Amino acid sequence: MRAFGIDEALFIIAAVRWTLLLSLLAFTGGGIVGLLIALARTAPPTWLRRTAAGYIQLFQGTPLLMQLFLVFFGANLFGANVAPITSAAIALTLNGAAFLGEIWRGCIQAIPNGQWEAATALGMRHLPRMRYVILPQAGKLAIAPTVGFLVLLLKSTSLASIIGFVEVTRAGQIINNVTFRPFLVFGIVAAIYFVLCWPLSLLSQRLEQRFGTVSR
Amino acid sequence: MSSGSSPGFARRPLAALGLTGLALAALGASQPAAAQSVDDILGKKKLQVGILVDLPPFGVVNAKNEYEGYDVDVARLMAKYLGVDLELVPVTGPNRIPYLLTNKVDVLVATFGITPERARQVQFAIPYSSIDIVLMAPKTRTIANAADLKPLKVGVARASTQDTAISAAAPQGTRIMRFDDDATTAQALLSNQIDAIGVNTITGKQIQTMNPDAGYETKFVLRHQPNGITLRRGQSDLHQWVNTFIYFIKNNGELDAICQKWLGVPLPELPVF
Repeated sequence: MRAFGIDEALFIIAAVRWTLLLSLLAFTGGGIVGLLIALARTAPPTWLRRTAAGYIQLFQGTPLLMQLFLVFFGANLFGANVAPITSAAIALTLNGAAFLGEIWRGCIQAIPNGQWEAATALGMRHLPRMRYVILPQAGKLAIAPTVGFLVLLLKSTSLASIIGFVEVTRAGQIINNVTFRPFLVFGIVAAIYFVLCWPLSLLSQRLEQRFGTVSR
Repeated sequence: MSSGSSPGFARRPLAALGLTGLALAALGASQPAAAQSVDDILGKKKLQVGILVDLPPFGVVNAKNEYEGYDVDVARLMAKYLGVDLELVPVTGPNRIPYLLTNKVDVLVATFGITPERARQVQFAIPYSSIDIVLMAPKTRTIANAADLKPLKVGVARASTQDTAISAAAPQGTRIMRFDDDATTAQALLSNQIDAIGVNTITGKQIQTMNPDAGYETKFVLRHQPNGITLRRGQSDLHQWVNTFIYFIKNNGELDAICQKWLGVPLPELPVF
């Protein structure tokens, strides 16, 4: 048994980089895949819209924890041995993409019909219409809810502790098991998450005030 | 964090292995885990060992953020006698069988109690350490044997030997609460969320030392647990090597030295099979 000292606190704080790295990977991956999902959800071909909708249903309808398990332990079925951070990043990417895709679909469809019709009247096909008319406006709408989702995603990285990835939550569990000081340890862990998330929440509010009312 | 369950569920042997065990039992059935021989390990010049890092003094993270403990020293010796590099992979109680069966580690040196239920999935070498699992509760509570547990809430770390032992010993109707690890279970006891705890004697002593006023005492011994290095099934070659290794370090005093270093007592008589 050990006392809780500076080394123990540093062990937890050092794990912040893994939480941040995982969040960054998940958000980048989720952003790229999510954009494709959002575009597919709003594309003219029916099969594309249905496929994207199915993807969203699948990943929103199953727990992230199960997705983590399946990626981490399931990859072995295909002979692949993936590291905890890789599988956590993949699972969070797939999961984040479903939510971001749906958020962004909403933003795209929130652009008034007149804009779509005006672009069409100018002779624009689907892709240029998206590129030059719809997405720039939808992007402004999307900023606030996207940052809000980032906060959620950052907190979701704590689930990666279950597959043995030592991020902030798992580091807290390890230290708790040698010091037996759960209130102190998990208090610090919670405070760390707050310090990471609060600026994002503030940013989200700011952006919402700034971009919330686009061209209405 | 906590997971209470109905007694009916608790009695099923697989439940003791936890959710991951269940999921992996399915995976394990569809994909035979890769067998390896001593030559395979010598060939890749590296031994990957799964260890617990949250079970002092068997596996912990020290002040320098390095893994250390009884299990870690045994793993080091093992790599030394194989003449290969050692890679320590931190696992948790609930996910150690999945880690082994999906080839993420070669062996587990993870204070893994030898039980026939577990041996359906994995293969144990002869014991290299042992701990006693006891039931602890406040002095004020009268508990003479397992039958007295019926009206109580008993906490254990899930997928641990105390989980298996309590699930087997407690009468129908006992509420067994499963937590992620010993520290969380201990906290549940301190905050009166549970009435009694199934725990190994070493952790139990720490709980008593930290809370002298709470008046916790050992009520009875649940199980004497010899622990074995754990392998995937069907690796008779590697299994034989591990048994030889344990036999050797028991005889030359190296295992006794590890036991003295971490537990402060001479190596107890360890059964063989």
